[in-house]
Amino acid sequence: MVHPMSEATTTLKPQAAKFDYVAFIIRAANVGGLAIIILLLSTIIASLAPGFLSPFNLFALTRNLAIDTVIGFAMMVVLACGHFNLAVGSIGVSAIMTTGFLLEGLGFPIPVAIAGGLATGALMGWMNGMLVIKTGIHSFVITLATASLFFGLMLILTKAEAFRNLPAAFNVLGKQRFLGPYSSMLFVTGLVGAALLILFKYSLTGRQILASGANPLAAEMSGVPVKRAIVVAHTLSGLLAGVAGVMVTARLAAALPSVGADWLLPSFLAPLLGGTLLIGGYVSVIGTLLGAILVTILQNGLVLLKVGSFWVQFYMGITLLIAVVLDRWRSYYAQRVGLT
Amino acid sequence: MKKFNYTSLLAKADWMPILGVTVLSIIILSIIAPAFLTRTNLFVMLRILSVTSIVAMAQMIVIGLGQMNLAVGAIGGLVGILFGGMMEVYGIPVPAAALIGLLIGLVCGFINGALIAYTGINGFIITLATMSIFTGLNYGITESIPFYHMPKQLIAWYDSYLGPIPNIVFIPLVTAALVALFLFRHPWGRYILAVGGNPVAAELSGISVRKTTLVAHTVSGTLGALAGVVSVARLGTAEPTIGAVWLLPSFAAPVIGGAVLAGGHVSVVGTMIAVVMILLLENGLFIARTNPYYMDFFLGLLILSAVVFNRWRTIQSEKREASVVIGEKV
Repeated sequence: MVHPMSEATTTLKPQAAKFDYVAFIIRAANVGGLAIIILLLSTIIASLAPGFLSPFNLFALTRNLAIDTVIGFAMMVVLACGHFNLAVGSIGVSAIMTTGFLLEGLGFPIPVAIAGGLATGALMGWMNGMLVIKTGIHSFVITLATASLFFGLMLILTKAEAFRNLPAAFNVLGKQRFLGPYSSMLFVTGLVGAALLILFKYSLTGRQILASGANPLAAEMSGVPVKRAIVVAHTLSGLLAGVAGVMVTARLAAALPSVGADWLLPSFLAPLLGGTLLIGGYVSVIGTLLGAILVTILQNGLVLLKVGSFWVQFYMGITLLIAVVLDRWRSYYAQRVGLT
Repeated sequence: MKKFNYTSLLAKADWMPILGVTVLSIIILSIIAPAFLTRTNLFVMLRILSVTSIVAMAQMIVIGLGQMNLAVGAIGGLVGILFGGMMEVYGIPVPAAALIGLLIGLVCGFINGALIAYTGINGFIITLATMSIFTGLNYGITESIPFYHMPKQLIAWYDSYLGPIPNIVFIPLVTAALVALFLFRHPWGRYILAVGGNPVAAELSGISVRKTTLVAHTVSGTLGALAGVVSVARLGTAEPTIGAVWLLPSFAAPVIGGAVLAGGHVSVVGTMIAVVMILLLENGLFIARTNPYYMDFFLGLLILSAVVFNRWRTIQSEKREASVVIGEKV
């Protein structure tokens, strides 16, 4: 955007030499602000509750973080095209039970079982996507219905019975640490995050998903296969819900049918705190990661500070509210100084 | 006169198919299951209906505006336990406690509306946050422990009759009638549907989108609170889990009833029939002694088939209308 005043200055010196601090700060405020809040919060919690930095707590914290981030990613990829996936939890638990069944019921090797769980997730996501594009019904309604459908199907097939005798090698995945206390599952999350970063920044498919979210009509007219992009986003969302499911199975060392019921809030919290737009067209992988870090630290800290686990949800809500209001104010200010 | 007939026919057609399915299910259920038409079973169903229908109305109003209120259940739960707490701990008489409860719901709804209207943030995010806040308050206050000792007066009122009609029928019917009057006769109700249909056009016609958002969410919050109060009367205890599972039915009923999620079009009668339909499904599966796990599956299937059918019908009628327009021009 060219400001009338800046035209005169460009003739005098090259534009690159100008560094607009205000613009930089406002642009970085979203991710940077989150990082500052996280640092402040960790310092406060660490000074008040010495247990926060203990190896045991750091392990539990990073393990939860690894899983919650992937749950957030699962929602983020559909938000990218302006869609919802309320079935993230149901798909997650379906993947969990598939993995458990393949391991315990059929005695398949671990890689096959994991692949089966992920395939289940991707298939369910694909079904969501197909239903959305074939019927033209809002993804909120479709995934509300399929959430119930998938969950019901899982209950019918498993009779709500858990698989508790998983091979020991599988459970090791959930217990492994690196650099001392940190959960190795962070590697999985890092890998997924890097893949998503490349997808949305550099790949055609990723750009097409974002374009479909920003303006479906304009995207369609510019030759973007909008419907295909939507199906890809939903399939990816299902796949990521499956990844989160497999991670939970490794963490619990069991496949429980009760997992996933409480994924709705965390799945939205991380991307929304991280600045991903609900209307589509913009995602932030780093933001989602930071959002998940904030939520995990807050959750963990509240428990350590003995605020009482009953109040945790209250503070989660307050955090989300403050974050979105602050971000709204930031983008409003950014518009006023001529940035978008 | 001719024109009036046409519109009334169209209005009827809106919820006719689901009414047909519902009546058919009632006939089939009463033939194959003798337990269905017993007084006990009907009362069990009506007791559930008395809550679910109000929950559906609370969501329907916000859907009419083209927004969502994820906090309906959270408001119901918070008001439910505060209502119970006021009576058990402070000994406040039932009518006063109910009134204060409704006022709390009104304030919760007002907060939702104000936050959405004055920050311009999507209602989905705001109500997701306030859902968490209200539920958190609920659990923080009660620490998950219900208030068990509800006044006998409350339960007696719930089970009483108004003439020949039991209160549990009277409550949802009056609520639905009031909501219908509000949405289709009252200016603010019309504004809600106008804003839902086209916010820009509504704003240009002099309707304040902000105030309309405030009104819709305030009414929705109050109805959510009413559902909470009725829930306490139904259960005989004020449980913190009230409202925890309202999200699915609150959207399912209006959507099956023909509401458009984009806003501007809702059907009170359709929503009420849809509530009965969902109830019949649950009850039918229960009577047929199927595994309770089938419930989620069939509910999902019901929602999916209903919305797909609605969508198909809309497309058909659009095609018909288009051909009529073309016919006129040719």
